[in-house]
Amino acid sequence: MICLYLLCLGSAQAQKLTLSGNVRNVAQRPLQAVKVILQPGSRTLLTDSAGNFRFTGLSGGNYNVSASTDGYHTATATVYLPVTQPIVLILTPSRHHLHDVVITDQYAQLRKKEESLNVEVVNSDFIQRNLGGSLMATLSRLPGIKTIGIGSGQSKPLIRGLGFNRVVVVDKGVKHEGQQWGADHGLELDQFAAGEVEIIKGAASFIYGSDAIGGVINVKQAPIPAAHTMGGSVDLIGKTNNNLYGTSVNLYGRSKVWFFDARATYQNYGDYRVPTDKVSVYNYPVSLYKNHLRNTAGTETGLHFSTGYVSDRFRSVFYVSNVYSKSGFFANAHGLEPRQVDTRLHDSSSRDVQLPSQEVNHFKVINRSTYHVENHQLEMELGYQRNFRQEFSNYINHGYMPPNYPDSMRVRIPSTLEREFDKHVYSLNFRDVISLGKHTVTAGINGEYQDNDRSGWSFLVPAFNQTLAGAFVYDKFELNDRILLHGALRYDYGRINMFRYADWFPSYRDEDNTRTPEYLVRADNKTRTFNSLVWSVGMNYNLEDFTIKANVGKSFRMPIAKELGANGVNYHYFSYEKGNADLSPEQSYQADLSVGFAHNRWSVQVSPFYNYFSNYIYLNPTSAHDYFYGAGNQVFQYTQSRVARYGGEVDVKYQLLKSLTAEALGEYVYARQLSGDKKGFTLPFSPPASLLLNLTWSPQVIRGLNNTYLSVDYRLTSKQNRIVPPELVSPGYNIVNVQAGTRIRLYNQPVMVSLQAQNLFNTRYLNHTSFYRLINLPEAGRNIILSLKVPFQLVSSKN
Amino acid sequence: MKRQLIALCLIFIVSAGACKKDSNEKIDTEYPVIDISTADAFPKQCSVVKRGQKFNFKANLTDNAQLGSVSVDIHHNFDHHTHSTEVSDCGMDPIKTPVKPFLLIKDFSIPAGQTSYQVNAEINVPADIDPGDYHFLIRLTDKEGWQTIKGLSIKIQ
Repeated sequence: MICLYLLCLGSAQAQKLTLSGNVRNVAQRPLQAVKVILQPGSRTLLTDSAGNFRFTGLSGGNYNVSASTDGYHTATATVYLPVTQPIVLILTPSRHHLHDVVITDQYAQLRKKEESLNVEVVNSDFIQRNLGGSLMATLSRLPGIKTIGIGSGQSKPLIRGLGFNRVVVVDKGVKHEGQQWGADHGLELDQFAAGEVEIIKGAASFIYGSDAIGGVINVKQAPIPAAHTMGGSVDLIGKTNNNLYGTSVNLYGRSKVWFFDARATYQNYGDYRVPTDKVSVYNYPVSLYKNHLRNTAGTETGLHFSTGYVSDRFRSVFYVSNVYSKSGFFANAHGLEPRQVDTRLHDSSSRDVQLPSQEVNHFKVINRSTYHVENHQLEMELGYQRNFRQEFSNYINHGYMPPNYPDSMRVRIPSTLEREFDKHVYSLNFRDVISLGKHTVTAGINGEYQDNDRSGWSFLVPAFNQTLAGAFVYDKFELNDRILLHGALRYDYGRINMFRYADWFPSYRDEDNTRTPEYLVRADNKTRTFNSLVWSVGMNYNLEDFTIKANVGKSFRMPIAKELGANGVNYHYFSYEKGNADLSPEQSYQADLSVGFAHNRWSVQVSPFYNYFSNYIYLNPTSAHDYFYGAGNQVFQYTQSRVARYGGEVDVKYQLLKSLTAEALGEYVYARQLSGDKKGFTLPFSPPASLLLNLTWSPQVIRGLNNTYLSVDYRLTSKQNRIVPPELVSPGYNIVNVQAGTRIRLYNQPVMVSLQAQNLFNTRYLNHTSFYRLINLPEAGRNIILSLKVPFQLVSSKN
Repeated sequence: MKRQLIALCLIFIVSAGACKKDSNEKIDTEYPVIDISTADAFPKQCSVVKRGQKFNFKANLTDNAQLGSVSVDIHHNFDHHTHSTEVSDCGMDPIKTPVKPFLLIKDFSIPAGQTSYQVNAEINVPADIDPGDYHFLIRLTDKEGWQTIKGLSIKIQ
């Protein structure tokens, strides 16, 4: 690494040329505060009130200039220095047309060149093209991204094999807080409301704090509309596999400085279908009625409203949203536990939700404000979230629970309320981005307070509250026009208070036929505090057709309440989960490298990584059974072990013809526990290696059609035989997905049509990272997805 | 200079790859086995036991490496809540409300270092419990934490 720096230092050359220019809108009015980026070198400026910008100290050669701001398409130009005249960049409003894929790709490329971590950026076009059952399922087409999912609408991200609380999801600048630890529920995000999603593969604790040890998914809001416009769009969507229908309606408007943006989404789906009419839950054969996975129907709604003030220097936006979902669990098993089913009740309708089921409601209010003064950009986010999740199931007396649900309990907790989690989260972020010549210094603080309550007749995690506070400083230094250096330092403090819980029923210690009843104390009042200092250094080296980036850093993660305080029986997993109050914060060291090459028709990117955990927190299935606290179940104990992980992604693209591209995306992760009880084993939910081969045809001109594409994905997934108890070896599989779309005009109204066929050949396969893998449930069969997007303009900008 | 950089990158990748060693070290990924197919094993699917009497729980437990522990859970199935892990169903009695159902949760020790063990444990069925459909759930672990579950449907008369 040091050699790389030295090599690069030697490349300084005579720098004396200047590139100046002007940014205007289509009406030739100058645009102020437009971000102008110069490549190579990633130098960034904002235009002044006359729309002017000026880069000095340049050497001769080819440069790429891009100008971007909210409400407009990014404009780019290639310039060969020296030039005699200032250049002019014209920005066109983005809401007048549908997003142009090519231009946003360029933005993504620029973003990648400026960031020393591994970044993927996708926009709403990508989401529309690859629309899956949830936002995370949609993103899983990207190399290195997988999901842990249950059913057809719930999934959580897995970045390079790490998931749950090791991935941070940021929504509109604020960390999204739900019940991240669970595999049987999804993320409460509406994929129609996502404007752009940026994914950091690898540790990014220094900027996002605890939990960003595996990666970050940053969901950004839709761009602010251009001044003096009003419009909206209507999305319609239908899926054949689970007979989903849905719509999302958007309306926006802006005067000069005030704007609003509103969206309502509704989706309703039936039981999903699998390519088999019989599955085996353990040895017990379960017949599926018309291939339906019984009771996996659901509904989802999303309501979003944002409004704010936008001026050259100051901007403040309020976002309010509520995302609700109700869905059923496969009725023949609750968790992994086989269940008797009243097939007449369940099979009478494929759209109803019976027990077991879950309901989740996530409410958010966020304010984002930025203030630009001289060389400071002050940014602040304030947020309040409430996540309320309930899991419903008929009362069953597992373990020592009384045979009949007592009436004294019924008044407090309904007999069908198995679990309830109620989370209130208050967040504050503040940053100052300071431009100091070739340094861009970001200094900031993050704070979060959580209050968590629980209910239900089953106990797993105690109620708790927690406070997190962190401060960081990050410097991006432009050494020369090819090299960017990054350095960051962060300090965090965390405190967690867990509260006492005792069983509502007595357990019995069976000793010599004398049964002593005892109300077991599952959790006691307990406080833990944590401190952590982390750092990161990185560099970017950008040549015309060759880029290298490297990053090394330390990350951390504070143990969560479940890891510290779990002491309950998870009857649906046949496990007694036991926390460990003495766990220390997880520490991780990661080295990332990414090498890219693009020339003529070729584009290649290779991104290997190496990661070492000195104390990975792991729920270890032991050989013991606990017949008192654990009611006879296998003891799963939280422990810490040393873990090494490595792997990477490869992306090779080749332009066969002007309108035909071929692409191969490969991903591989290897993990190994280096100490402890499971030394030599991998980590749970290790994704198997996979390769995605794609052929995309995007003809330039077909009469009456624009943005037409036809794309075929052939995904090859290898067998996963690196497993850890209680997993099963998953065989390899190959599936084919097809995406096609175009933009047509109907009665002078543009309509964007997208069609997808997922699992085209109705292949029966098992997904190693699916929740239902352990009871051998195959993944969804063929699914044809049709979506229409109809944008409309009520008032268009006169300029 | 480009060439040097590529060479450096290659060295980095190769050396990262070289960190991997001893990855072929054997780990145990086999589940233990509960065998109730022998003639003297008891109970079996649909076995019947009598109230106020004792019976012996007998099964052959094996593992490729080392057995862990075995636990037994007898609980009522008057509400037909779950089915067993076995294929045949034993013709269940009508659904009824439990009054004093039998409940037994017990673990039995297996001597350390065994790959095979015949469990033979006496179980007392009290005389005053509700007769009817019950589940006899056997959970067996091995040293590595792999667990095999056998859920048998039995009747208590």
